[in-house]
Amino acid sequence: MAYHYVVTAHKPTAVTACVTGNFTSPGDLNLIVAKNTKLEIYLVTPEGLRPVKEVALYGKVAVMKLFRPQHEKKDLLFIVTMRYNAMILECVNDADNLDIITKAHGNVADKIGKPSETGILAVIDPKARVIGLRLYDGLFKIIPLEKDNSELKASNIRIDELQVHDVEFLHGCANPTLILIHQDVNGRHVKTHEISLREKEFVKVPWRQDNVETEASMIIPVPSPLGGAIIIGQENILYHDGITPVVVAPAVIKQSTIVCYAKVDPGGLRYLLGDMAGHLFMLFLEVDNRGDGNDVVKDLKVELLGEIATPECITYLDNGVLFIGSRLGDSQLVKLTTKPNESGSYVTVMESFTNLAPILDMCVVDLERQGQGQLVTCSGAFKEGSLRIIRNGIGIQEHASIDLPGIKGMWALQVASDGRYDNTLVLAFVGQTRVLSLNGEEVEETDIAGFASDQQTFFCGNVIHEQIVQITPISARLISAQNKTLLAEWKPPSDKNIAVVACNTCQIVVSTGSILYYIEIHQNELIMKGVTTLDVEVACLDISPLGDGVTTSEYIAVGLWTDITARILRIPDLSEATKEYLGGEIIPRSVLMTCFEGHSYLLCALGDGSMFYFVFHKDTGTLSDKKRVTLGTQPTVLRTFRSLSTTNVFACSDRPTVIYSSNHKLVFSNVNMKEVNHMCSLNAEAYPDSLALATDSSVTIGTIDEIQKLHIRTVPLQESPKRIAYQEESQTFGVLTARIDIQDSTGLNPARPSASTMAQSTTSSSSVGSLSMSKSGSSSLIGGNIIPDYGQEVEVHNLLIIDQHTFEVLHAHQLMQQEYAMSIISTNRLGGDMNEYYIVGTATVNPEESEPKQGRILIFQWNDNKLTQVSEKEIKGACYSLAEFNGKLLASINSTVRLFEWTVEKELRLECSHFNNILTLFLKTKGDFILLGDLMRSMTLLQYKTMEGSFEEIARDYNPNWMTAVEILDDDIFLGAENSFNIFVCQKDSAATTDEERSQMHEVGRFHVGDMINVFRHGSLVMQNLGETSTPTTGCVLFGTVSGAIGLVTQITQDFYDFLLELQNKLSTVIKSVGKIDHSQWRAFNTDIKTEPSEGFIDGDLIESFLDLSHDKMKEVADGLQITGEGGMKQDCTVDDLVKMVEDLTRIH
Amino acid sequence: KCPDPKPKIASANNFVVRCARRAIGYQSKSMDRKFIHSRFCPVQTIRSSSDGDFFTCAKFLPGDKSIIVGDYSGDIRIFNLHTGNEEFMFQTHDNYIVHLEPNRSGEFLLTSSTWGRPLSALWAIRNSEMKFALDDEEHVEFSKVTQERIVATKLEVATIYDAVTGQSILRLVPTDSNQYTRNKATFSPFDDLVLSDGVLFDVNSGKQIHKLDKLNQTQSGVFHPNGLEIVSNTEVWDVRTFHLLKTVPVLNQRTAVFSPVNSAIYAISMEQELDNGDSTFDSSFKTVDAIDYSSIATIDVKKNIYDLAVNRFDTQIVIVENQGVYQSVQESVVRIYDVGRKRDDEDEQDEEDEEEEDDD
Repeated sequence: MAYHYVVTAHKPTAVTACVTGNFTSPGDLNLIVAKNTKLEIYLVTPEGLRPVKEVALYGKVAVMKLFRPQHEKKDLLFIVTMRYNAMILECVNDADNLDIITKAHGNVADKIGKPSETGILAVIDPKARVIGLRLYDGLFKIIPLEKDNSELKASNIRIDELQVHDVEFLHGCANPTLILIHQDVNGRHVKTHEISLREKEFVKVPWRQDNVETEASMIIPVPSPLGGAIIIGQENILYHDGITPVVVAPAVIKQSTIVCYAKVDPGGLRYLLGDMAGHLFMLFLEVDNRGDGNDVVKDLKVELLGEIATPECITYLDNGVLFIGSRLGDSQLVKLTTKPNESGSYVTVMESFTNLAPILDMCVVDLERQGQGQLVTCSGAFKEGSLRIIRNGIGIQEHASIDLPGIKGMWALQVASDGRYDNTLVLAFVGQTRVLSLNGEEVEETDIAGFASDQQTFFCGNVIHEQIVQITPISARLISAQNKTLLAEWKPPSDKNIAVVACNTCQIVVSTGSILYYIEIHQNELIMKGVTTLDVEVACLDISPLGDGVTTSEYIAVGLWTDITARILRIPDLSEATKEYLGGEIIPRSVLMTCFEGHSYLLCALGDGSMFYFVFHKDTGTLSDKKRVTLGTQPTVLRTFRSLSTTNVFACSDRPTVIYSSNHKLVFSNVNMKEVNHMCSLNAEAYPDSLALATDSSVTIGTIDEIQKLHIRTVPLQESPKRIAYQEESQTFGVLTARIDIQDSTGLNPARPSASTMAQSTTSSSSVGSLSMSKSGSSSLIGGNIIPDYGQEVEVHNLLIIDQHTFEVLHAHQLMQQEYAMSIISTNRLGGDMNEYYIVGTATVNPEESEPKQGRILIFQWNDNKLTQVSEKEIKGACYSLAEFNGKLLASINSTVRLFEWTVEKELRLECSHFNNILTLFLKTKGDFILLGDLMRSMTLLQYKTMEGSFEEIARDYNPNWMTAVEILDDDIFLGAENSFNIFVCQKDSAATTDEERSQMHEVGRFHVGDMINVFRHGSLVMQNLGETSTPTTGCVLFGTVSGAIGLVTQITQDFYDFLLELQNKLSTVIKSVGKIDHSQWRAFNTDIKTEPSEGFIDGDLIESFLDLSHDKMKEVADGLQITGEGGMKQDCTVDDLVKMVEDLTRIH
Repeated sequence: KCPDPKPKIASANNFVVRCARRAIGYQSKSMDRKFIHSRFCPVQTIRSSSDGDFFTCAKFLPGDKSIIVGDYSGDIRIFNLHTGNEEFMFQTHDNYIVHLEPNRSGEFLLTSSTWGRPLSALWAIRNSEMKFALDDEEHVEFSKVTQERIVATKLEVATIYDAVTGQSILRLVPTDSNQYTRNKATFSPFDDLVLSDGVLFDVNSGKQIHKLDKLNQTQSGVFHPNGLEIVSNTEVWDVRTFHLLKTVPVLNQRTAVFSPVNSAIYAISMEQELDNGDSTFDSSFKTVDAIDYSSIATIDVKKNIYDLAVNRFDTQIVIVENQGVYQSVQESVVRIYDVGRKRDDEDEQDEEDEEEEDDD
């Protein structure tokens, strides 16, 4: 058997739906965004969008609507998932806690029924009397919205219109009235139905309009008092109020298809329309007074406002600001302006939201050679196409480095400056202190007259009244920041040396063993305001002020030796507010009070690299919600720094970590440096907004990335990337792309400038080709004789060579007309040839044929900034996949697998073939083995017999799985992803007794991911083998999805699987799912034809949500769980055990 | 009238285009299913061993390892799918087996023959033992949900039997017969209805619910596995409203075999009687999309098709192919085809090899 752990490393980013309303409270304007299985709730503020809550659903959002029940002051959220779970959600906001309550739920699926080709449609009556659902052809479901009914029960109404393209409720009707666009043999028609809620049937057809435009596909209901509806077609826009229609055919909308709209004003006179090409239009209704006091629509006007990200949905927020939700590119917050900008656009982008979707291909590379993989993805499509470079953790860009061993502390100072930039760096060593002056990029050693340089500095910093404090074992010194003279000195009353200190700009706390002194900083003097003796010696101290603009602290945080406690003392009387026993025998080494996103925390790092953190209650000085996390393996030093106006904490250790808060949850993100002993913020003229980081041997000055767990860099291509390969030798990426060219009077011309048209150099495959085309039947199509129709869009495919450092497009090689780029690899192991080649597989696509009959395999060399075509092989179909295989080239061509030898003449020669497939879409290799992924026939394992020079079919999975990606996990275990969003694991059984059994792969694992996986790659996003872990995992396969998520699959042992399964089962009962969908139902392997319970996989997303639970809930989960302790004895599992284990699991991504 | 606007996203006929669209989130499963059902590749041929005898009907047996075949002389044979070897044989009737249906566990088998006694029977396969005979019944089928019952047909009369005891439970006789020449009573996918002689009966009450308009002479009709439709020769009826939904000309005088998954209909021509008393079969079968009833493909196997069956995954079909006219069949084979695979793959390969040689 095989056991696996699957978890999301990067959540989906493609926006599938968005709505605006008052959800979190009657006064809050909210934006709610659905990203596949995830909801994000934002508060709309004058400063922009503020995230307030993220909700994970056990389902893919198919429809999401906000509605306002009558007599309510805020909106409720209605959601239907792709698997027909319906729910009504309410946000309950008590004090500082937002809760999403499932007010009502139910599954609205029918046992029988023809799911509609146009998908799930759901609409809500404007008076919130009823929900309407169109799920199946010939049926309309209604759910009357009665108060306090927690069960959503739908009644079916037969509907004669079988093919419904869109449906809405009309406004201003006495009874709920539907309007729909339907299609029959004669074309498309608009029809209305009045619903009787009592009889649960259609009672009459108030009006209809037959034969509207044949491509009419969208209805916009117009609010009262106008009423009626707007019907959007491909070329026409129709308004109908039940009496008279008004039709316009604005030329601007013809180029593309309108896919979404947003209502601007409540009166419904203005609407925003977005089309597939990313145009934003405004639609105005011009009204006329009919004379009886009622307005009537006279005309419709459409105006192009400008360009936006390819929209999936649009919602209007407020004050001319709208949210553009995109599935293929970065979503945007845009503002409409009254005057056009220099390019004639009325649209200004205020903010973009990174979206990796759809991830079409990716490769794992270690460009910086630090032992940590980075992912380069082909993301987005059409004008939103891009490469994304994704790295786990936070990157430090190194700008300068000084060799200086033995640093014990480091501080940046402003000495005799205008107060804008730091110009001095103070470095402490054992028994001495050195001062570096930063002058531009020059660094030179200097002296500060008032400093004690023959002592180790414990603390140094700028304080109030333009003074500097230096604290050494002997004394605290106050020095003038301008003339550098000593102004005052404070020594402990006893002869004891100072051991531990902490300081802010106004206050100092020092300790000599167990005695604690509190000192205030005044102009030219240091005044001791308090002293206390503790029962044990002090190990670490902190006096950080909490909150923005606060300069003094009301508390001192103390970590103590022997009794291993963290205590909070009040200032100035130094009385104890709290004492918290940390447990264990490891001494606290660093303690820090800090404020993240308005919440105060106490962090306390221990000598073994672990850290406790507490919620700190400022008003009482008490601590609660104790949690523990392992950061490194050595004593950790905590320091705060600011980045982009937010406070963060840097934990210096053998595994440097940045601690920050996201969604009111602490996040621990590793930094791409091996070790850091000390750090300080540095804002020098030559190094603005930087950090100084000290290691055992040097000081590095660098800048830090934007603080987020996965760091993503975007390289826009503005055309669709398809496949990517990395070539180490030439330090380049080979990327296959497709752009759109349009046939106009001068021939085919690119629709817009993009990567392939802006490359530094270009070449192209001759459209005549060097091959004799007479052999093939469809030669005339590639002969360059076919001229597309005027205005027709044609895909033009290119191989791009992209520099690995700058990501500039060095070269673009254009393929022939109708030739699609399908696959690419880079290899230097062809035969005895040591050259590194890019090998590209193509297909000649004739739209009349059901599959390509021709294609090519092209071999290129990139050398000296020149692309040379080394070889070309004509093939009889589409080359879906390529692989280097034992010095030969393996290609899947239509249904076949072919192995080619590379001859000394640099030609490909066919050695052997395998035929038993429908379409061989995917190939993976390991040793002599080849794993095939077929269109419908799941996975097959082949073995190459070297002696015979032939393939042998070893085993096959006979289940009909429609594959989207495959991967070899180990010699016997194979991973597949199929097109109903499931993954499964097959095992070959070499030990079986009969040939028949051996030839059959056994399905040993299955799991519903809820997203379509386009690519699997071996590799990891995190540094390998750092420290010990309690969670043994083997191997790591990353996957990229259509919704822009990145996940990983790793193998675990059976014991660990059994334990995690028990934990998972407990979590699925303790964590109440939003929408009350059963976890096991959600993760069950589900296709159009079968549903089977999940097996062999642990849902890492659920396991990791353990860390979000309150301590009580954690306790509830831990109760009754047993772990294997030292010596193999079973013992009860504590909350701490679980936290450590789950945290270790979070570290694998 | 101006030309109607064309949809901007036309359906992509070429798989490469669909494949690229699927990767960015636009699935076209129905086009892919059509693609699959336009290509069939023979993978196994089983020939009749005895002279003069020929195969008449076939089904896949549960377990995905073997097929069960009936022949002209009333014998039942089980062949291994992979090797093509005969694994088991027993005699059921004295002559031509027109229909056989194993149950879902593979233990029992229903057979029907053309004349003699019994006309139909239920068998326990393992010990070749007849469980009970249904002497005069011309056609027999299991119920669909539980297979606890059997519905048998004699002319316009349908009888429901208990599949364990063979006891007759219910007789369903239309008040006014449609006189279809080949009436075959059948259970609905939920076993609540029986369709016989163009009349829908409620199984619980035994009452007649509806009589479908008679638009052909031969077939009473079969239920679509979706439970919503009845396919009766070329007509598709809505079970809930009894409205005529569609007319599908390619199904005329053809038996519709529904694939258990993938929503396809395989349509084979029914035996046509000739003036001289002989009868002919068609040499091609058709595939039809079972969702929208659009025609997919016509596949000519160049032999007379006597029967066709689909395995449970719709990955293979079995066809009984005979050459020569009835009574004088010259060659009889049962051929297994892979669904979705192209027939000429290997041939192409040979061509290529030849070319390679030429090049050398």
